[in-house]
Amino acid sequence: MSQDYTRIVTLHLAAQMPLLPVVTQCVETAARVFGLGREESLKLSLATEEIFSYLSGKVCQGENIDIRCVNGIYCSRVEFRFPVSVLDMGSLNIAASVDYENEDDLAEMGLALASRSVDYLNITAERKNHICLTIIKDKQYPPVAEEYFAPLDIQGAITVETPDPEGVKRYVSRLAQGPPDPRRPQFFQYPGQVVDMAASGECQVLTAVDVKGECAGGVLFHFWRSRIIEVFGPHVFAQEREAEIAGMLLDACIAKSARTKAIGLVNLTGMPLSLQSQFELLGLIENYTMDGVKIDRPSFFRLLHEDPGCRIFADRKLKDYLQREYKRLFLAREIREVHDNGEMKAGASIFATEMRRERELAILSPLWPGADLDANVKRHLRFLRGETVNRILFALDLGVSWHASIMTVLMANQFRPALIIPFAGQADLLVFQHDRTEP
Amino acid sequence: MIEPNLELLVPAYVREFEPYIPSKPDPELQKLYGCDRLYRLNNNENPLGPPPGAQEVIRRFPPPRGAIYPSGDSYYLRREIAACHDIDPDQILVGNGANEVIFDVIKAFCGKGDNIITADKTFAVYEWVAVFSGIEARIIPLREERFDDRGMLKSIDDATKVIFLCNPNNPTGAYWSRDTLKNFLDEVEGKQIVVVDEAYFEFVEAEDYPDGISMLKDYPNLIVFRTFSKMYGIAGLRVGYLAGDLKVVDMIRRTCVVYSVNGIAQEAALACLRDDTGHIRRTRELVRESKAFLSAEMAAMGVPVIVGEGNYMILKLPLSDTLAYRKLMHEGIMIRPMTGFRYPNHIRVTMAQMEAMEAFVAALKKILS
Repeated sequence: MSQDYTRIVTLHLAAQMPLLPVVTQCVETAARVFGLGREESLKLSLATEEIFSYLSGKVCQGENIDIRCVNGIYCSRVEFRFPVSVLDMGSLNIAASVDYENEDDLAEMGLALASRSVDYLNITAERKNHICLTIIKDKQYPPVAEEYFAPLDIQGAITVETPDPEGVKRYVSRLAQGPPDPRRPQFFQYPGQVVDMAASGECQVLTAVDVKGECAGGVLFHFWRSRIIEVFGPHVFAQEREAEIAGMLLDACIAKSARTKAIGLVNLTGMPLSLQSQFELLGLIENYTMDGVKIDRPSFFRLLHEDPGCRIFADRKLKDYLQREYKRLFLAREIREVHDNGEMKAGASIFATEMRRERELAILSPLWPGADLDANVKRHLRFLRGETVNRILFALDLGVSWHASIMTVLMANQFRPALIIPFAGQADLLVFQHDRTEP
Repeated sequence: MIEPNLELLVPAYVREFEPYIPSKPDPELQKLYGCDRLYRLNNNENPLGPPPGAQEVIRRFPPPRGAIYPSGDSYYLRREIAACHDIDPDQILVGNGANEVIFDVIKAFCGKGDNIITADKTFAVYEWVAVFSGIEARIIPLREERFDDRGMLKSIDDATKVIFLCNPNNPTGAYWSRDTLKNFLDEVEGKQIVVVDEAYFEFVEAEDYPDGISMLKDYPNLIVFRTFSKMYGIAGLRVGYLAGDLKVVDMIRRTCVVYSVNGIAQEAALACLRDDTGHIRRTRELVRESKAFLSAEMAAMGVPVIVGEGNYMILKLPLSDTLAYRKLMHEGIMIRPMTGFRYPNHIRVTMAQMEAMEAFVAALKKILS
């Protein structure tokens, strides 16, 4: 998305505690101006207070820090950019304050605490020793009205269009009135949020309408990684014409995506049976209903271009699995084995933790190598269990050689390889899922 | 080391554009996909190669000439092309493939706030060049696999500078007749530049297909693209050209970088124009035979096709075209998946010798079984 400086407020200051009120006031005021309610603005400000205090005290004391408050229309985002020395890296783990052996302490400080006040928290490495820490607080929206929609009587030719805000609301409201689906993200409960997400450029929505203007279905899609578009749906409300309408929506979605920087489409939340032959099954992720019943959730993928092939790195123990999967998916990959030859490993590793509290989901990924991989994995598992995160995924970039050294550590900690998402990183992403049945 | 701030230095329309990643060289692909031979049915190349005279030029190019700059504006080649069409050599601009003259036209006519018009399912480079130059590309859906003249006319506004047509269209093979093109140009009334890309001109046998260059004298806002990459089989040397009105071409020339067409390419292109061995006839026969064969095979397999002019046809598959590409690559067949052309689940196949077409059909049967 383009930089729109009318939607950004920037602070450039030193990471020093006396400046804390400047930061929290700025974030809170910006959030209010950007449309967040009083309570959400306060929560964002509280998270900011925790983070700034933590950075000033433990991570980059006295260093220059850039703080950007961004109006995401449906949310407010605060980005902290700062340098960090190798010695302080470990403190950037969300579970940094958790002792993996001692059951008494649970994280009551720093990033862990901040994560509880916001809807999203993540850390990314932008360039050498420069980190970006992002928190997001969503606006509060009224849930979908309990209005009764008469059964659809779809007539005549169907057209696919980019809907106006009222069209988006009709699509989301009708979807929310259908059978519940635990795989569907929360935002589908809030028509106003989806309207704002589309307005902000965060996602695109297409709807299928009949000759009378009735909404017969819709699809929502957005960039999930820099080269991958995630598709929700297509959702069809006229079962007798499901294949036709779903096909039209998917074709339109592909037409919008085909000449973008996206290299593939991924669907992690289910799609009509009639379209599944146009996609490839990547694998299954376990999901749980509110009452704890396990559901295997298939993930689908399709490339938008020729597979250019690539080189990937793997531990020997995973090589058979990868060979089998790549053969099944007809993907051309040169697999290079990575061995531990006893070379020195030093310092603390960092894992980025993408927290999606509304989906009870955390996606971990390695940011920095270190000598404490096993302990760090254990710390994160303990922390996430304490936060009642139901689904813990660990994503390794197979294009980054040192990520391969984490594979055996993950498997020793009850993670299992669940699926490969082509080109979702520098090369493919190998997603491990933590087995909930293990202690 | 201070890294440049690319967010500030690079315009958003460049940052957000995904560079086109061309296929790896054949030996690399063969290694990746584990196949010991590769039939290239993806780029609409001429399997017969260049005409014999051009082959001789390539074989006999004196190595010391490698040290000498070529003619900076393809002097002799422009004269020969002009003579073929009975126009002034200065009405011709030769480029490093027709792709280069697309750049030249957009650079010459479009500035900030302007737009170009083209179709959704056509050669992508018009749209790409516009987008990464910060120019809006208005994309009009095809109607019945051909350019929608009414739709394009309706989307013209004061900021529209260039309209790009591909005739016959790549990948559908549909074309505008002389009457359709003439009516369109009449309605444009010279207010915009109309580019007609005739990359596949020499393949077309339909009687009502127009020769754009012959219409230049009546429509000075018309520009015609031709290439030596398709029928003449010298895609590897990169030669294409545009023809237009003298004053229009004079403007475009201001945006060109001279010396972009190398010496061996200029001489080989000259030899292509002078061919008297029936290269075009032989190629057309091959294309006819292959199209008839493939059409019959696809009908027998129940695979729908879109076929028109040009040395290619489209097949609609019951699976993802990009998956079909990978499966076919494992069988040693390279085709073009059509998702990038906004035809998901379709592939484009170049017409080639029967051995290649039979290998393709066998591989397709295998992957669909």
